[in-house]
Amino acid sequence: MADVESSLEYTTSLGSLPPPRTRIFKIIVIGDSGVGKTCLTYRFCASKFPEKTEATIGVDFREKVIEIDGEKIKVQLWDTAGQERFRKSMVQHYYRNVHAIVFVYDITNAASFRSLPAWIEECKQHSLGQEVPRILVGNKCDLRHAAQVSTEAAQQFADSHSMPLFETSAKNPSHADSDTYSSNSDHVEAIFMTVAHKLKSQKPLVLSQPANNTVTLRNQRGGEEEKGGWSCNNC
Amino acid sequence: MNVKKSRSGASSPLNGIDKQDAESRRKKKEADITQALSVTPVDVAVLRRMAISEGGLLTDEIRCKVWPWLLNVNLEGISEQLEEVDRTNNKDYNQVLLDVQRSLRRFPPGMPDEQRMGLQEELIDIILRVLVKNPQLHYYQGYHDIVVTFLLVLGERLATALVEKLSTHHLRDFMDPTMDNTKHILNYLMPIIDRVNPEVHDFMEQAEVGTIFALSWLITWFGHVLSDFRHVVRLYDFFLACHPLMPIYFAAVIVLYREEEVLDCECDMASLHHLLSQIPQDLPYETLISRAGDLFVQFPPSELSREATQQRRRETASSTFKDFDLASTQQRPDSAVRRRRRGEREQQQQGPPAMEAKQGAMVAVRPAARRFVRLAVMGITVALGAAALAMVNSALEWAPKLDLHFFP
Repeated sequence: MADVESSLEYTTSLGSLPPPRTRIFKIIVIGDSGVGKTCLTYRFCASKFPEKTEATIGVDFREKVIEIDGEKIKVQLWDTAGQERFRKSMVQHYYRNVHAIVFVYDITNAASFRSLPAWIEECKQHSLGQEVPRILVGNKCDLRHAAQVSTEAAQQFADSHSMPLFETSAKNPSHADSDTYSSNSDHVEAIFMTVAHKLKSQKPLVLSQPANNTVTLRNQRGGEEEKGGWSCNNC
Repeated sequence: MNVKKSRSGASSPLNGIDKQDAESRRKKKEADITQALSVTPVDVAVLRRMAISEGGLLTDEIRCKVWPWLLNVNLEGISEQLEEVDRTNNKDYNQVLLDVQRSLRRFPPGMPDEQRMGLQEELIDIILRVLVKNPQLHYYQGYHDIVVTFLLVLGERLATALVEKLSTHHLRDFMDPTMDNTKHILNYLMPIIDRVNPEVHDFMEQAEVGTIFALSWLITWFGHVLSDFRHVVRLYDFFLACHPLMPIYFAAVIVLYREEEVLDCECDMASLHHLLSQIPQDLPYETLISRAGDLFVQFPPSELSREATQQRRRETASSTFKDFDLASTQQRPDSAVRRRRRGEREQQQQGPPAMEAKQGAMVAVRPAARRFVRLAVMGITVALGAAALAMVNSALEWAPKLDLHFFP
């Protein structure tokens, strides 16, 4: 993981102006209230677990500049409110020109998993169908003992919607009850990097293409992601 | 603009006199409030003025006495015994619990966990109690940010009564089954900004930033975004004494105050949304409050509604506001300004209509604009009290685009 880490250059500040032709990947993060959307996006952009997160009201925005194959890319994450009333009339403005979608559920909350079809439908209504890369993230893996959603069920769902599945924890790895030495934080990083690689490999960005090639990332990193226990449907 | 650091004079010896002065004004204000509360009937008009003018209602002790009057809640009608709350069969319980559990930042930093958890339980009960009693109201994320402020100032019993009244009036639109009306209220933001600073308005339009950056400001009365509780309650004094649309005027004033930052920002949705949604914590609240009051008088909602609305007229909180006694505060200065304004207009009929007065013509119009602003400020002073006086100077630098068409 360390080699990946060191190959990245990132910033969480808008102040550092990237060169004018920096490509921007706009990713929207959606899912039920309390599944950890804010934690995931914060984790990726600030590289740490936020101490106190509150309900997101409307839409929050975070970004990070990454480097892939020498190209600087701005990854913009739009973190949305989970409560249904917000998505109906408020959030649609932010669905425009989205390059990728991250669906999030909480592995300890079966209801958040059952809501996924509604979220997928929501995206379709905003003209974001299968041509837009989508991934499924099961969050709060550090609470595996309280899991209500099995990896198998999630994998099956992901397959049926042609999405790769990731299971992760945005939380500080010291709280994880897994016995592996691995650090979960890297997984959040890797998930968004996977999406970024995927987007970069598309030319043009909106090119219709099934969402199945995390190969780019895997080739570069070998099989390392196996260690942390997250999986994707290509594994 | 002499708007920064109005409150932090303690460390500077030069401010000794100011401090003394502030102390005596404070004493005077306390006495005025006590006086207004002691007469029969209670002088609600004075209480409104006190809540709006510099420093607001000063202490939570005073707020406990005055807020009920601002909301027209009869203290004697509040039952001693709070109703029991059945959490098990409540459709909103899960969402409320989730939001309240995460609302740690709303409690004073030094508060012991046990005390905080007790308050969080009370917070859940207040919310559920009001929702159960008023099935037409729908919980929204952010409602808890408002209720917690009332709980911390008033305690559970009084907070329950006031929150219920507030929810069926000021917050009513936010609690519809959908957020369509909330969206409609947000639509007032850009027309207000346009009136004052078309350049900022056009820049924001070009960036397509939308208005969601102000959503949490509006529906939590800034309780969600301001970290200093003193600022939050100061704003609540102001909003409780005003028209329900005042928070959107205040939102506009914040954007306008950050004019330079906005115009320096990259002109795209993400950058601007990011900039605007990060609210500065050191805002000059008193100045901004009087500016918001000024804008409300100059460009009342009725003047903006045509632009703000593309849809049918609906029953909004602003239309239910007539339930309140607002005679002196909102209406009189408004009409006074209109009268003065009409006089102004007659004096300078030769002036070009500002609608056509683009860049060059604006310069010619400006002296008239300045005169108008000063008069307007005098008019507002009736409503806003001493706070408005403090802004006379900065208002001149801040002359809004003069547009005679808005005052027929």
